[in-house]
Amino acid sequence: MRELAIPGRPSEEELGERVDALAGDPESRRELRDLLREEHPIYEGRGAAAVVRMRGWILLALGRIGLEDADLPFVLEELDAGTDAYLVAAAARALRAYPRPGPVLAPFVMRALANIRYRDEPVCFGGYGEYAVGGGDTTPVLELLAALAWLGPHARESLPELESLRAERGGTFRKRAAELERALTAIRGDANERAPAPSVDACCVLPGSLGYGSRWGSRSRRGEPIGALRLEDQAGEWATFGELFRGHPSIVAFFYTRCDNPLKCSLTVSKLGRVQKLLESRGVDELIHTAAITYDPAFDLAERMRGYGQNRGLRMDAAHRVLRAPEGMGALSRHFALGVNFVGSLVNRHRIEIFVLDREGRVAAAFERIHWDEREVVARAVEVLEESEPSPATPPKPGSQLLASLAALGIAFFPKCPICWAAYLGAFGIAGLSQVPYSPWLLPLLAAAMVASLAAMWFRGRATRRMGGFYLAALGAVAIAVSRIGPAWQEVALWGAASTLAGSLWSAVSVGKAGLRNGRGSPWRARLSSP
Amino acid sequence: MTSKRKAAKKGTKRTSKKAAKKSPKKAAKKAVTRTAAKSGKRPQRRTARAALAVATSPRKSAAQRVAAMAEAPLAVCEADENLQKMLDVLRNADEPIKVRLAALQSLQAASFSVIAFEACRGDYIAALRQVATDPDPELRQRVLGLLAREKDGFAQRKLLEGLRKPEKALVPPEKALQLLSYDIHADAYAAAREIVGEPPNPAAKQEALRLLAADATAAPMFEKVLLDKGELRENRQIAAAALQALRPEKLQERAREILLDAGEYPEIQATSLTALTQFGDESALEQDQPLIERVGRLKGEGGTKVKQSARQFLNRYVR
Repeated sequence: MRELAIPGRPSEEELGERVDALAGDPESRRELRDLLREEHPIYEGRGAAAVVRMRGWILLALGRIGLEDADLPFVLEELDAGTDAYLVAAAARALRAYPRPGPVLAPFVMRALANIRYRDEPVCFGGYGEYAVGGGDTTPVLELLAALAWLGPHARESLPELESLRAERGGTFRKRAAELERALTAIRGDANERAPAPSVDACCVLPGSLGYGSRWGSRSRRGEPIGALRLEDQAGEWATFGELFRGHPSIVAFFYTRCDNPLKCSLTVSKLGRVQKLLESRGVDELIHTAAITYDPAFDLAERMRGYGQNRGLRMDAAHRVLRAPEGMGALSRHFALGVNFVGSLVNRHRIEIFVLDREGRVAAAFERIHWDEREVVARAVEVLEESEPSPATPPKPGSQLLASLAALGIAFFPKCPICWAAYLGAFGIAGLSQVPYSPWLLPLLAAAMVASLAAMWFRGRATRRMGGFYLAALGAVAIAVSRIGPAWQEVALWGAASTLAGSLWSAVSVGKAGLRNGRGSPWRARLSSP
Repeated sequence: MTSKRKAAKKGTKRTSKKAAKKSPKKAAKKAVTRTAAKSGKRPQRRTARAALAVATSPRKSAAQRVAAMAEAPLAVCEADENLQKMLDVLRNADEPIKVRLAALQSLQAASFSVIAFEACRGDYIAALRQVATDPDPELRQRVLGLLAREKDGFAQRKLLEGLRKPEKALVPPEKALQLLSYDIHADAYAAAREIVGEPPNPAAKQEALRLLAADATAAPMFEKVLLDKGELRENRQIAAAALQALRPEKLQERAREILLDAGEYPEIQATSLTALTQFGDESALEQDQPLIERVGRLKGEGGTKVKQSARQFLNRYVR
């Protein structure tokens, strides 16, 4: 049996050598960082264990050349939600190469300690892909304790927690008592302490480059045109992306049911359930929709998604769904710029990611890598809700509705022959002759105006998902066109004009209601301000 | 010591050796009780400590040590020294293999207590990796099994390497596939597909099919296996179960085809009937007259299993 070879893709060992070469040249830092993107082709078609070896080696290389702000999210992500001993140890070591230790980093290290203490396995950093056999160079807990010592007084907030770990009678921290003591001493500082105590301002401010909570203005929002992409929900109902995500803001999280990291997908979906409750408490749960979309649509069938959502307290109805896109994962991936990669159809690595979409289904905000705060996500979605509505869903100006009706009436009553003229003269009398609008060019102009209004009604109907008005107006237009065949059909024009008028009115009323539902009216605004 | 006393002690030793040969469990228990009496306060801990002392003592017989190992887990993580003694026994190729296997079992039992074992886990995993390439095949296989359950990258790499290069294989291919199937992310699908195409033995093919049951892209292959009358019946049943997990609607279609085929094997018919009875679309099956008639005939003329499954089907869909 031969090794599966993908043309143009380096072997793991070649990649290790390449990373070593890049680590020798600080100019190549960007390329090194680029290799950490989950969607990078080097991870395609590799098992999760290989991905761990590769990413761990890259993190160590970044640590060797010194960490920059832009590298930090990749390191903090592992400390925040990593469960693999090798990756957590590598991240803890890389963190110590960051030039600006600060109090904001300490909670990440403490969280990693809590996550990894029951998997404190020996790891080996001697060469690419080496495993600790018999004994290792270090362990994740040792690396994390060293990171705390490196943080020194910046980690003062963690002292009580560390003291309680020291007080444990057995377990990992009893075994690592010497290293824990060293960390405690460094944090407490001594009489000749060099490092400054954390200032209030320095606390709790993540470096701006973290990429957490990115947002885009309405003009620069990203997103591919995927309105026609079909998705199936947890009940087996199919709908297009446009139908699901246009006309209202949405909060969209990604997951897959076979994810074996409890701090990623399972937690994300549980937190989405809490987001739904927050939306309910603010009275906007019908105005802001939520969705959890699976990365693994081939395996996550409707029933599986439903069970997964139910077990994590997710509300599932018309406004809040769990979705799969069996034939559009690529398009979806491009639209959201997802951080995910696959071995076959199965996910081998993904980041934590949740998005806020605007009324057009474009990405207005993204919370990536680091665990997101439910309140922050809801607040951002509410901001998007409060934005002025984009053109397709904007309630029509009275003028445009009037134009449609007038054009239809104009065509219907436009005089076509001498007999018509005679009839109009009879009706208006000779005195009113000058009031009868007759110009040969007027007919095509009115027809064009009617087609334009029909088109506007169609767009409006698509945006509000209420097409009744358009159909009625279109029927009227057809009737008016038929009436032009000859005098025998002239009566049809009256029905046509009436139908067009009714269709225009219906369309206007529908859009008005949609506008109210989407927040143009005032009833919900008062509720938004309440917590 | 007086000569009488010496003689008495020799006599006891001779008796205990004889007793150990006759009943090693009883002898081990006696040895453990004797040692326990000398040390410790709490009876359970005291017994465990004493058992560990016997289990790791090269002066005791292999049978005594094996018997003592069963009582040692509680003491393994009491002190780092205890753990190291047990790991030494496990790693030492000069120790009798029975004792090493018993040490492994004792360590495994200790690891169930996650909190107590927390501090021992790292050394334990590192020792397991060391023993994963041991010359003894049984020990190797058990250790690889434990590591595979931990989704250990080292073990997965060794197992995959063995599938690609049989001369480096640490366990037979069917075992390697079974162990790799503990982690769906282990990248074993490509290897499993190759084995399905060119199986080294029927057991390996069966394990490869079981592993691929988690691969969503393998549904068409399972359809083919299910409909192939030349395929082993066990493999066809695995294919049916896999299709139910991956593409349930396809299994419904194929199960119907199988039931309508008069030349099909009874085991496969029984499997198909069960699939339709348990997971079938009620409204569609209630209206499916040709299928209901066919199942009615199977109820009268099929084997015991088929008759039973047919009865269940008819009870559910025929009012």
